[in-house]
Amino acid sequence: MIAGAAPGWRTPTVFHGAGPEATRPPEARGLPRDGVRLLVSGPSGHSHHIFRDLPRILRPGDLLVVNDSATLPASLPARPLDRRQAGERFLLNLSTRFGERLWLAEPRRSAAEPGPLALRPGDRATAGERTPVTVTFVAPHPGTPRLWFVTPRAPLEPVMAADGVPIRYGYLPEPQPLDAYQTLFARAPGSAEMPSAGRPFTRSLVAGLGAAGVDVATLTLHTGVSSLELPADAGGGSGSLYAEPFTVPAATAAAVRRARRAGGRVIAVGTTVVRALETAAASGEVRSATGFSRRFVRPGAVRGAVDGLITGFHEPSSSHLALLLGLAGQRMVRGAYAEAVRRGYLWHEFGDSHLLLWERRARIGP
Amino acid sequence: MTAAPGQGEAGPVRGHGGDGGEAASGFPTRKAVVTGASRGLGSTLAGFLAGVGYDLVVTARGRAALEAAAATLPGEGDVRTLAGDVTDPAHRKALAEAVGDSLDLLVLNASALGPSPLPRLAEVDVDALRQVLEVNVVAQLALTQALLPALTRGRGLVVAVTSDAAVGGYPGWGPYGASKAALELLARTFAGEADGVAVAVVDPGDMRTAMQQRAFPDQDIGDRPAPDVTLPFFAWLLEQPRAAVDGGRFLAQADAWTLPAEPAP
Repeated sequence: MIAGAAPGWRTPTVFHGAGPEATRPPEARGLPRDGVRLLVSGPSGHSHHIFRDLPRILRPGDLLVVNDSATLPASLPARPLDRRQAGERFLLNLSTRFGERLWLAEPRRSAAEPGPLALRPGDRATAGERTPVTVTFVAPHPGTPRLWFVTPRAPLEPVMAADGVPIRYGYLPEPQPLDAYQTLFARAPGSAEMPSAGRPFTRSLVAGLGAAGVDVATLTLHTGVSSLELPADAGGGSGSLYAEPFTVPAATAAAVRRARRAGGRVIAVGTTVVRALETAAASGEVRSATGFSRRFVRPGAVRGAVDGLITGFHEPSSSHLALLLGLAGQRMVRGAYAEAVRRGYLWHEFGDSHLLLWERRARIGP
Repeated sequence: MTAAPGQGEAGPVRGHGGDGGEAASGFPTRKAVVTGASRGLGSTLAGFLAGVGYDLVVTARGRAALEAAAATLPGEGDVRTLAGDVTDPAHRKALAEAVGDSLDLLVLNASALGPSPLPRLAEVDVDALRQVLEVNVVAQLALTQALLPALTRGRGLVVAVTSDAAVGGYPGWGPYGASKAALELLARTFAGEADGVAVAVVDPGDMRTAMQQRAFPDQDIGDRPAPDVTLPFFAWLLEQPRAAVDGGRFLAQADAWTLPAEPAP
């Protein structure tokens, strides 16, 4: 999930409205994870369900593709080491690990206040309290200067283990434990923010899907920060968003090709999965791939790698909506959001879910 | 950190800084050479590498511009400026001496565009073609040879900066494009031959640089992105395992950077 849309794409004004925000996980509201609501949108209209109904909604031969990235305790307490802001504490939210010695991060004043902080290349800070590590701010990210490349003097994983908490924004009043941010599929730590579309899945639901003839395949995409305050045109001169590490394993690529040949639908669990599969479909069909992707799936740039999507409800100005419009089209998405607002579906990562199923279409654009 | 004017050809050396009271880096130091480091992509990359903590040897033909650019580099690593022309064997020897025993990264960024405005091949002065090939092909190989012992010891990476002109056949870009095509082939061949040294070819894409302005003297190039548009790519490239990117050709402004895929089962 990344905030901001690239130049050349504007969110239609019809989406400038949102449902109520989920301010706590469903468990804290007395619901099991798979007890959240599920809006199902298709070419013939919208229907209302509970997430655990999924095995009865999908068809035998459908393939769900999930993201196995686990959420990091990526928000670190930090303190400047340079003269201009001496003593003023801030948060260093780690977004993306490029390597042991190089991260992309968002320095923020607090969960609710983004900043910006006045930083210059070469400025230093300490991250963490119990086992602090000095980090140097290297350069702002092109087009997204709120994000900085930072280089630590020592690995940051022990700092996260000692002092990190999950990244949180202003709409969540209370911190939640890291477990609340892990999905059933979480295997590979690396996401700054939970790949939240997978959150409602439970063991019994996955067993029910298997019994209904619906397979589950995994890939990895480590999400960066989706800070709502990032500018709407976040991205470099290429019109792309910032890059995130991903891997589509050969077995998953083969499962996708097999399902489609047999007439099944490939349903992405999360926009992260869409981005990974669309990136891996550069040759026309999905092939195994690993690297970093900032591919911006939007109207006019869809490779047709997926036939459906399970996702949440998100900010009107986000790239998330550009992706939905590109995949499912204006009519279905406008109708769905109107329905979701009217029926009070809950927004954000602990909120309700949305399944979109569209008619398979040919590749559009690059 | 201000770089003072240097003595002789070798420019100033900026020593390892630090406040004394601070813990030293837990990571080993790394060293990079960047050519054409006085402006444009070379200067931007040098700034990024300095910030990341590399010790740097930077070179360009113009001493004043090189030292001015070096004076703005962030970070605490050593920075050595060495003004000169990469086509000059004595300069290459001096660079190798400045590098010393071990080198982690060589960025072959300096290059010659040739005449501006860009001439059609029917009219191109063959001496100008010869000069472009001398800078962009012969000198790049010779510099890599001169630094090879240090690169081998450092299990280093050579980044050869190329252009879409190398594959484009664009009118006017004949000499430059041919030189970059030749550089790419040398780089790929080197990747196959050199043990323990990786070679990657990088097309940075169009950028707002002096070279771009010389290629399009009558155009406003303000719509091109600044060279820092390539930094996310270089952040990715530099942190990849050397063997994974060896022999690869990458587009810095692409929407994805991928490694060779595992074979299908």
